[in-house]
Amino acid sequence: MINLAGRDILHGWGKFVFTGVGLGLLIGVTLSMAGIYRGLVDDGQALLGIGGADLWVVQRDTLGPYAEPSNVRDDAYRALLGVRGVAEAGNVTYLTMQVQHQGGDVRVMLVGFEPGHPGEPGNLVAGRPITRSHYEAIADERTGFRLDERIRIRRHEYTVVGLTRRTVSSGGDPMLFVPLQDAQEVQFLKDNDALVNERARTAANPAFNRPGVPGLLEAVQASQASSRTVNVVMLRLAPYTDETVVAREIRRWKHLEAYTRADMEEILIAKLIATSAKQIFMFLVILSVVSAAIVAFIIYTMTLNKVREIAVLKLIGARNRTIAGMILQQGLGLGAIGFIVGKTAATLWAPIFPKYVLLLPGDAVLGAALVMAICALASIVAIRAALRIDPAAAIGG
Amino acid sequence: MHPAIEISGLTKRYGEGDAAVDALKGVDMIVQPGEVVGLIGPSGSGKSTLLKCLGAVIEPTAGRMALAGEAIYDHGWKVADLRALRRDRIGFVFQAPYLIPFLDVTDNVALLPMLAGMPNGKARDRARQMLAALDVGHRAQAQVAQLSGGEQQRVAIARALVNQPPIILADEPTAPLDSERALTVIRILNEMAQRFGTAIIVVTHDEKIIPTFRRIYHIRDGRTYEEAGEARAA
Repeated sequence: MINLAGRDILHGWGKFVFTGVGLGLLIGVTLSMAGIYRGLVDDGQALLGIGGADLWVVQRDTLGPYAEPSNVRDDAYRALLGVRGVAEAGNVTYLTMQVQHQGGDVRVMLVGFEPGHPGEPGNLVAGRPITRSHYEAIADERTGFRLDERIRIRRHEYTVVGLTRRTVSSGGDPMLFVPLQDAQEVQFLKDNDALVNERARTAANPAFNRPGVPGLLEAVQASQASSRTVNVVMLRLAPYTDETVVAREIRRWKHLEAYTRADMEEILIAKLIATSAKQIFMFLVILSVVSAAIVAFIIYTMTLNKVREIAVLKLIGARNRTIAGMILQQGLGLGAIGFIVGKTAATLWAPIFPKYVLLLPGDAVLGAALVMAICALASIVAIRAALRIDPAAAIGG
Repeated sequence: MHPAIEISGLTKRYGEGDAAVDALKGVDMIVQPGEVVGLIGPSGSGKSTLLKCLGAVIEPTAGRMALAGEAIYDHGWKVADLRALRRDRIGFVFQAPYLIPFLDVTDNVALLPMLAGMPNGKARDRARQMLAALDVGHRAQAQVAQLSGGEQQRVAIARALVNQPPIILADEPTAPLDSERALTVIRILNEMAQRFGTAIIVVTHDEKIIPTFRRIYHIRDGRTYEEAGEARAA
């Protein structure tokens, strides 16, 4: 038996292909939306992998450091090192800020860490780790910074000594790693006017400015100009240590909150990006409905354009399933062209997106199945219309 | 030998109650194998309704209809039975050729035997033979849009004949053609009727082809009146 659908497609291939391309671009947007969601999740998981931590210790009753602000004393790590099973501890700060670069500015997440401790970025794609205590930086390559480039952060200039890849915040901002003390200064140090004002206020306070106690005023002022706070203490545990037990110990005895990797994934994915995920899901649903409506309309129109041919086919003895099969195959053909175009388009334009777009093969397979299912469903309207065509319509009168 | 078509007292009513319209009011007709019969009547006389009943497209309200001695509709015929009847035992030629535009000439003709389950290669061979018999064999590979009106109508006739049905129903097959081509089409139908023993009913308004029929049925107000060739000659 002749493949009627294939012949019809070949006969009007231009119209069919252009329609498929249009549908494909819509499918491409749908796949990209799914890719953006996957990218959000992957960014979150990549974020947890950056410092090589097993436990994140943050301010009590907070979901810090990524989902909520968290302040922890920077000497808390000493006490944490005393907990059984803790092998290493490292203070880390986070601050999202704009950094001047080549006449514009780049939004980065500034990460302060202690070289050689948890929190240090792992595999560098270029350059070397930070070896000095100050004014060296490691940048994610998406910042656009180059090796040996000098960048200005607040009052100081930093030299980019290393580059990383896929080190981004949960919001997708590329990370810029600097030594902890520099990051604390950037995060907590006040500007000059504020410092002068604070000193004057302190000097005017008789409780601190006591002539009988030399050095008191200077000590108070020095304490106001320095920061002893970090956002998180990252812990690396000894091998074969149960992280949940250590986390429970820390919560009980250190009056801090401790999160395992599973806890952090829950916070990042279920809480931090939950709203974004719902937003994207809504877009996916709407785009799927729009795609289905477009396919249904196209197939329906194509079918109505063939009323006379279908009537003749029925009159000369074509079975309903032959006609239904022709329409269904055209719907599926349109879906196949649309999916190929959409997948290609999504793959090509994914790198242009400012945020990471992760197109998983599994999602592509699922997408293909959904597109085919939608096209099959969308064909039903046209099939019903075709089956209602009276073969008598081929005979005049 | 049974007549190819034998109908008696055939009626068809559309609608019910006060809105009911009797399109056919007891039509009688007999057509023998190999005979080409004209069916003539004004608009609204019931020609198309009769053709649809004969074509197993609509079921008559009452009366008897037999094709080659087999009564149709008498034994609770199902849709599939009627479809098979149309496919295997009735050929249709329409006012316009109504060829499938996305199939080439050969496949337009081969489609019928394919629908009947014949393998593609064999169906195409048979289609080419039929196209050659109708003098359009040289256009077998052409697309429908590349054919002239006359060639398209020949292909339509080839499609109607390819399964060698005992009956062909032709609904104003010469309407879009000039006199020469119209007469050619009628000549071809006559040749095919002689060659394959096919009974052909030609519905027409076309004055130039009416004299070619040996027998004519006039239909008026849902009733048929036979006019024999001798009577017309007189």
